[in-house]
Amino acid sequence: MYAWKCWRESRARFIFLLIMFSVSALLFTLGPGLGERNGWWYFDRTEYLNNPWPTGRVVFSMILSVLWCSGFLSAVFLGATASGSEIEPGTIEYLWTRPRTRTSVTWIHWGICVAEMVIVAVVPMYLAAALLGTLTRHWNSSGPSIAGLLIAPWMMVIVGLPVLGLTTLMTALRRSASGGLIYTAAVIIVYAILRQIIIVPLHLNPPTLFTGPLIWLVNNNQFGGPPITFPWGSLWRAVFLAAAFPLAAQYLLKRAEV
Amino acid sequence: MSEAAILTEGLSKSFGAQTAVTQLNLRIQPGAVYGFLGRNGAGKTTTMRMLLGLVRPAKGRARVLGLDPTNEAELMRILERVAFVPQRKQLYGWATPAELVRMNKAYFPRWSDEAAAQLAQRLEIPMKTAFKKLSIGNQSKVALLLALAQGAEVLILDEPTAGLDPVMVDEILRTLIEDHVSQGRTVFVSSHHLGEVEQICDWVGILEEGRLLLESRLEEIRQEFRLVIASGEGLPDVASKDVVSATTDGRFRRYVVAREAERFAAELRSQGAAILEISPLGLRELFLHLVRKEDPCTPGNAGAKAVPVSSFS
Repeated sequence: MYAWKCWRESRARFIFLLIMFSVSALLFTLGPGLGERNGWWYFDRTEYLNNPWPTGRVVFSMILSVLWCSGFLSAVFLGATASGSEIEPGTIEYLWTRPRTRTSVTWIHWGICVAEMVIVAVVPMYLAAALLGTLTRHWNSSGPSIAGLLIAPWMMVIVGLPVLGLTTLMTALRRSASGGLIYTAAVIIVYAILRQIIIVPLHLNPPTLFTGPLIWLVNNNQFGGPPITFPWGSLWRAVFLAAAFPLAAQYLLKRAEV
Repeated sequence: MSEAAILTEGLSKSFGAQTAVTQLNLRIQPGAVYGFLGRNGAGKTTTMRMLLGLVRPAKGRARVLGLDPTNEAELMRILERVAFVPQRKQLYGWATPAELVRMNKAYFPRWSDEAAAQLAQRLEIPMKTAFKKLSIGNQSKVALLLALAQGAEVLILDEPTAGLDPVMVDEILRTLIEDHVSQGRTVFVSSHHLGEVEQICDWVGILEEGRLLLESRLEEIRQEFRLVIASGEGLPDVASKDVVSATTDGRFRRYVVAREAERFAAELRSQGAAILEISPLGLRELFLHLVRKEDPCTPGNAGAKAVPVSSFS
């Protein structure tokens, strides 16, 4: 029943994100075929049929330019509903006096958020891939940028998982949804600024902490660029942080007094 | 003696330098309606939270239905059998009472749909209105409905009528009394309304600064407890194990005596004291005598200290 409660609380954000990203992906897919004539919009499929590969790449790049953040955004907004956010408003007394362990509550919420994140990432991209396949008449996964569209959502989810964990941890630390959101944003921003402060003067190029797979996806799709090695180290760090943050939140919540 | 529904032994809790509960010994028998009284910050809520695993005791032990709330597995069994209405009746604002009933039902194997429906009808709860749009009175009723329909063996109610108007209070108290009569649950209720406690409780415990000053049957308080006012030189603080408290009021000494007040008065007389009054005590008077440190209305009592109970069992 707690799963239902998590869904009920996060569904508005989930539906908003799903619609926003799906509409964006579909518009970007249709973009190269849209034109204007005598003040009227029209759609011309010729470009897709005559130049399927370049058109596919353009579509993929445009979609990525906006949807790369879907994993982060859904992680932050969905993660802010974690049980730690119920401490300040007071509903935690109700929740923690139901016969369910705090550990199970933490992980049920995490599971629901991961499921929602996957849907928010996968549905827009797969819709775009299906539409692009139809328009270019290249249906299989080796079609123009179809493979990229099929892989991209999973990279977004992998990169989003540490952020989901971080938000879960921050809501537990700050004991409120708004506090969790603010502190998550602060941690990410401060980390990014510190990284720049260290990198630029010292001319360093340290590996990214956990966003490597997403950066690889974006860079690998650039026209004329050489193929880039997949950042396995960054992927493993993402997996580690994805598990470490919620475990830390679980520990905090288990010891929390209200 | 049967196993206590709620038992605490030397239970203590501090928050930093602030002591919330000190060496608390409670024994609440199954089927009792126990009123837990005390001023704001006396430690009532902290005690209840320790019983429900929301706060960890620093020292001592607590048992609810023979189970240890500090052990997670046992706590889950306690929470299946104990219903709690917190002081802050905060439930999910977006949920309607009907949704809350559905949600709660899944947690409790002994949940009664029939009881929930009857209570909803009797308390006239708008079941399809979002919780956040309900009045405070209706929010309290929803919290009570969820607790009563849970099929719990023990009800822990932290100021269930706080902030309610007299009609609502009466309605909630009648519901509690009827529930107790029909179900025989143990009820552990904290309140500032002494009249309410007299109406529904058969036992009372009075807490002050985290210490239990008194625990007694209400009937015993009515029949046995007396206020003895004496004057004289060198009167004792606590002359007998039956003396619950002694306060100084100018030249007078006020004793709250748990039993055999006449015998105690005779002892004082034999020490040269003049006995000015021996009068029965209501719960209100008893409570005020025990917890009041300053009384601006009676300047003579300003700064008087209640003497901790030495023994009254």
